[in-house]
Amino acid sequence: MEPATFPILALLAGALLQLVFARVLTPAGKGWLATIAATAALVASLSLLPSVMRGEVLHATLIGQWDAGMAVDLTVDGLSMLFIVMGTLTGAAILLFSVSYMKDEPQGLTRFYTIMLVFIAGLLVLACAANLLLAYLAWEVIGLCSYSLVGFWYTQQHAVDGARKVLVMTHLAGYGFLFGILALYSATGTFVWSDPVVAGKFTTGIAALFLVAAMAKSVLFPLHTWIPEAMNAPTPVSALLHSACYVKAGVYLIARMYAIGPWSGGHLSTALLVVGCVTILVGVIFAMAQTDLKRLLAFHTVSQLGYIVAGLALGSDLGIAAGLFYCFSHALFKGTLFLVAGAVQHATGTRDLRQLGGLASVMPKTAKIWIIAAASIAGVPLTNGFVAKWLLFGAALDKGLVAVVLVGWVGSILTAFSFLKATVNTFYGVQPANLRGKHIHEASPSMLTGMGIMAALCLLFGIAPQLLMIPLIVPGVQSLGFHWDVTLSWFGILTDRGAVQLSIGAIVVLVSVLLGLAVFAAVRRPAIPRVSGFTGGEPLPAGDRPGAVDFAGMAEHAFHPVYAADPDPLYFGLWRRMSTCSTAVQRAVRPVLELHPLVAVSLLTVAVVVGVWMP
Amino acid sequence: MDPILTVLFLGLAVSGGLYSTSVLQGGARWGGLAAVVILLAIAGSVAGHSWAGVALLNAAELCAVLLVWTQNRDAAKRYLLAVVPAILLTLAALGLLDLGAVRPAAPVDKVAVCLLIIGFALKLGLVPVYFWLPAVAARSSAMTLALIVCVVDVAAFGELYTLRLHASWIFTDFSGVWLALALASLLGGAVLALAQRDLKLMLAFSSVDDMGYLLLGLLAGGAGLSGTGFSLLSHALCKAALFGAVGIAEARIGQPVTLDTRGLAAKVPVASATFMIGAFSFIGVPPGLGFIGHWRLYMAGTEMGGPALAVCMYVATALALLTYVRAIHRTWLGAGNPAENTPASVVTSRLAAGVVLVLALSTVVLGMRPSLLPLTDGMATHTASIAAWRAR
Repeated sequence: MEPATFPILALLAGALLQLVFARVLTPAGKGWLATIAATAALVASLSLLPSVMRGEVLHATLIGQWDAGMAVDLTVDGLSMLFIVMGTLTGAAILLFSVSYMKDEPQGLTRFYTIMLVFIAGLLVLACAANLLLAYLAWEVIGLCSYSLVGFWYTQQHAVDGARKVLVMTHLAGYGFLFGILALYSATGTFVWSDPVVAGKFTTGIAALFLVAAMAKSVLFPLHTWIPEAMNAPTPVSALLHSACYVKAGVYLIARMYAIGPWSGGHLSTALLVVGCVTILVGVIFAMAQTDLKRLLAFHTVSQLGYIVAGLALGSDLGIAAGLFYCFSHALFKGTLFLVAGAVQHATGTRDLRQLGGLASVMPKTAKIWIIAAASIAGVPLTNGFVAKWLLFGAALDKGLVAVVLVGWVGSILTAFSFLKATVNTFYGVQPANLRGKHIHEASPSMLTGMGIMAALCLLFGIAPQLLMIPLIVPGVQSLGFHWDVTLSWFGILTDRGAVQLSIGAIVVLVSVLLGLAVFAAVRRPAIPRVSGFTGGEPLPAGDRPGAVDFAGMAEHAFHPVYAADPDPLYFGLWRRMSTCSTAVQRAVRPVLELHPLVAVSLLTVAVVVGVWMP
Repeated sequence: MDPILTVLFLGLAVSGGLYSTSVLQGGARWGGLAAVVILLAIAGSVAGHSWAGVALLNAAELCAVLLVWTQNRDAAKRYLLAVVPAILLTLAALGLLDLGAVRPAAPVDKVAVCLLIIGFALKLGLVPVYFWLPAVAARSSAMTLALIVCVVDVAAFGELYTLRLHASWIFTDFSGVWLALALASLLGGAVLALAQRDLKLMLAFSSVDDMGYLLLGLLAGGAGLSGTGFSLLSHALCKAALFGAVGIAEARIGQPVTLDTRGLAAKVPVASATFMIGAFSFIGVPPGLGFIGHWRLYMAGTEMGGPALAVCMYVATALALLTYVRAIHRTWLGAGNPAENTPASVVTSRLAAGVVLVLALSTVVLGMRPSLLPLTDGMATHTASIAAWRAR
């Protein structure tokens, strides 16, 4: 057995043990077993890191014989390593959180932990697949795992509806990936993506097919509408799906395309960049209108994926680095945010922002963890989110794309607003009536540890991004054929390109804010209102506070045309027309073909005779 | 192909036998006839490509009509209306062709091909001559349908597969007609399956859709032919699991399963899991055996018919996915209908549930290890032809 197979084998062994000891293990025992398996996979992954940092590409065989004369071969390069570490790290933290979170679930825990482990293993196989057909298999296994996990509570209609939408939208788009692979094979006779002959046949059409599949998986506009429905899953599932194992599969594919063949630089990468920018704005604008905490986070996933894909679409070394750094950072802060949302729901029984408030006093540690992750997603300095945005803006300025910076900037401001709303409505102000008298408890130690590890890493990689950049991002960038030496110092400050423009931009922003404050203070110093929470704007009458509904209402009013651009009614209309059409066809043909066999046989006979005798 | 079909039919015989001991199908007469159908199919596949084999498989088809007769005479009459002409037409065609060993002089060769196409279209219920299928599907038990779709039809298709190997000109020289028939069945079957509300009818029409795929593979040859082999096995195993799961649910609720039935997963969880695994494997979602067959069919089809045929195959697959996912989510998953009360005395058999689950899981195991099957993967010649083309 080669070491490169260890992470996958550890996860699969954990899944197998779940099944074998299903009747013996307690609910918590199942959780610990899954956590140990994921941690073992993480340790095994980290043991591969030194070789990959040296630029080595590791090869291994998982199964000797699979299909079409191929084995299940793995290739671990810098990009694979990044996704392996991301998947196992977030997976282990999320499974640790699950130990306590899921222990009271009356049934289905074996199914839950088994599929969670296979889910993570699926991402690892995708990231390490040496041939494209195996990559497609892993792609769809991930899809099936998420389908099963989103529909975990399979007797609840809203859960299974969400699962249905996930499956239909991503699987149908996934055929783009398969048909692209088959077209490549037809042209080259190989499925091995690293074969030089593949690069020559990797046409724009094939790249476009790959991108369609990636867009659906990575919730890019207009194929993003499945993700808000998927939040009806148990929280650990949402965390894993949003942070590492599902939406990142599309990111992996887009990044991997750089290693397969030349596709960027033309209209396709421009189109992808536009899609990324539109996704940034659409995601965050829809997020602002939400009053359900997980739904709000789900729309922010859409927006954040827009940033990541925009970085990758830039097609430069710095852009790729920004996209990959953002990808890893997003896994950490979005995983944390979902886990906190789960902890809040676990403690209060609701995730409705209209029924939450004042939780910082009873869940202080959870609140601190949330604030770190929220600051990170909003791009506050000293967090990894800031570094990610800094790199992205630098890369865009490097290519002279000011519009991308502007879109990213607006997106960041709206993200900050949205998280201020969520933070204030959840943790600050006065507890609403429905929570008073209720025993609200702080999250358990295992839940806090799971969330805390990821939040701590958000800070660590914000202060010392080199710790992420040197071992994982740089090898990832280099494995895609870009030669870039890290020039990142403490706090994410770039020491070469883009730094001057970016610094000037930051200074301009800072000066604007200070000037605004000065003018505000000088012209109209408002009386300190006796309000119980942050108003987000004009002070409200004493004792009142703007709730999630007010904020959502304001957002809906301000961005009304954007909400009308929801593509879901179009998809629903298509489905309805198809359904109506099939019924109409059946009604039309039944009297002829079913009830009058002689007519059917005559029709076929005439058609066959004409066809056979035609020259 | 014949040895694999023999093993397949043996496996299905054992599964069907175990299943029907706990989910009653129609008494001793039904059991005896079902056994005869399978034994004839096994004997036919053992006899191989010969007149004895043809005769045995035709006898199996006639016994299948009797099987339907035990459950509904009107449906059996309609089935007979298809089977008898189909047998006569194919016998005549095979006689003219000497089982594919010779190509008669024109225009006899064309006459033979016409007879063969119409005969097999009737046997397999292809579009537009599927008139017997809705009646049989609506009025027969799930296991009767499984026998027809997974044994009788698969054996008939096996004959066609063998003819493709022995007399490829039948397909290549008249590819337009075969292609039209395949596309009509592929798209027509998918559309008609979507229109059904009864799950057995839906499964029956989706078989027509799949036959369209299989025909495309035969027509394309090379990788398509091996794709047809894998898909044919997947078709038989998945459909047996799917019909079996529906049969268990019908036994549990005491009425046909339709799109108005709700929340079966809470009542029959193993059958529900079986239906889901079987459905996804059948459609061609990895890691099921259906995927191993389907990717070859997609590739061969696209190479043969270009983007237009690729789009047709994609549309048919999308329709199949929507059809099955709708069935899964309306019938099996979700909240149950409180108005549907199950008689307390009805206890679902664990044996039957276990049998269908094993069938469904076998498609996943074979999908992960297709090399276990003694089928040529068809890719070596394909790769060689690409290499030769590149060298030119």
